[in-house]
Amino acid sequence: MRILGIESSCDETAIALVTGKGDWLKVENSTVLSQIQTHQQYGGVVPEVAAREHLAAIFPMLERELPFDGQGIDAIAVTSGPGLAPALRVGVEVAKALAWSWGAPLIPVCHMEGHVYASWLPRSKRLFPFFPQRVPKFPALSLIVSGGHTELVMMHDHGKFERIGETLDDAAGEAFDKVAKMLGLQYPGGPNIARLAVGGNKTAFDFPRGMIERDDFTFSFSGIKTSVLYTLRKNEDKLDDAKFKSDIAASFQEAVVDVLTQKSMRAIEQYKPKSFILAGGVAANIELRNRIIKEGERRVTRVFVPPFSYSVDNAAMIAAAGYFRARNPKNFIEPVDLVADSNMDIV
Amino acid sequence: MFTSKSEQQTKDIANDFAKTLKGGEVIELVGDLGTGKTVFVRGIAQAFGSDARVKSPTFTIMNEYPVKAQQVKKVIHIDLYRFNDASQLSALELDEVMTADSVVCIEWPDIFGQSPFHPTHRIKIDHVDEETREIEIESLS
Repeated sequence: MRILGIESSCDETAIALVTGKGDWLKVENSTVLSQIQTHQQYGGVVPEVAAREHLAAIFPMLERELPFDGQGIDAIAVTSGPGLAPALRVGVEVAKALAWSWGAPLIPVCHMEGHVYASWLPRSKRLFPFFPQRVPKFPALSLIVSGGHTELVMMHDHGKFERIGETLDDAAGEAFDKVAKMLGLQYPGGPNIARLAVGGNKTAFDFPRGMIERDDFTFSFSGIKTSVLYTLRKNEDKLDDAKFKSDIAASFQEAVVDVLTQKSMRAIEQYKPKSFILAGGVAANIELRNRIIKEGERRVTRVFVPPFSYSVDNAAMIAAAGYFRARNPKNFIEPVDLVADSNMDIV
Repeated sequence: MFTSKSEQQTKDIANDFAKTLKGGEVIELVGDLGTGKTVFVRGIAQAFGSDARVKSPTFTIMNEYPVKAQQVKKVIHIDLYRFNDASQLSALELDEVMTADSVVCIEWPDIFGQSPFHPTHRIKIDHVDEETREIEIESLS
């Protein structure tokens, strides 16, 4: 089954073509607007917040990457939420129009569910890998961690999710971004903090690990943000000292990775999943990946971390989610009935 | 001018403030990182009986919390922290969002210089020390 995926929930415009057979997926095409711009410009990519560019970009992207008469496309999967309503609507309306004119089934997908399904996407570029790729087994537990989200979700089966915990205030990715700004680092904050942290002393500062003593799976990152701010204010004379800043970055990163890892491990111990999935843009953080893999694999059969290109916002993950949703015809929707839902939830 | 020594106190101040709102208000929240702007909005949403998860909209840009009060049906929570210039505002379709039955709260309204909004209220929150904030509520209409 060949699925066209469309994603435009906030910053990114993305389209993808994914073919599925049984439980195996193949990505024929995954195109993401900000990546195109990287090739065309010589500077860094500036995120187009609330991309008014969505509308301008989406048709040229479709025309360039797809058979425009819809030949060979069996279904269309589109992010219908959560996200910024005007941005979501671009993808949704385009998907509706294509579904209607091609007569193709239409599947609304939750963006967060897409992040989880990124772990079903092929990790290897080789067309004929020696062994078929392992995919998560149910029940699976996922930590979804990005700029806008931090939550722990149990996946009992395809499409059957249960939220077991989330952040009360800021997402982990946002904490990285704001601390990066405090340290005078450029966008993107997360990777730049990770880079600055190399060689820094991760115990130099004992930043608060929000909610870590609580038995539940709630997170909080607004406290650590303020703690770093006050530490920098109290040490204004050291702000030009590279070692000081590196220590701050390392200690901050350690505190965030600690909380995310400990809560995840506690959740594994309580819920006993067969697999653990690290999802979302912050999955790119090497410290986090390493800690989660090392401690996770002591406790579960397998830890899944998708490649970076599928961890950040993309449409291949949406197509993957759509592929599995398509197994149940109840998940299809008449184009005329589909409406973007900025508050859509994974459960 | 109010002094708050905790998140709960900030929410209590916001709760009292929310009781004066009738719908259609546009409220700017101005203050440094970590002063409690989002906590204040949480207090407003809770005052209207919402049990919505009020979280930082820095990455989502705009959150909408349905509420069940007499004149107010939703609290809209906007954060312009990631914006670079005013031309990006058109993407928010604010005209559709600022209605008579909504209360709109905007964090970082002045991120690119002068605020382009016509707020009915401005809330300024300043750090005094790690636990203490000073909250000033200004009515502009």
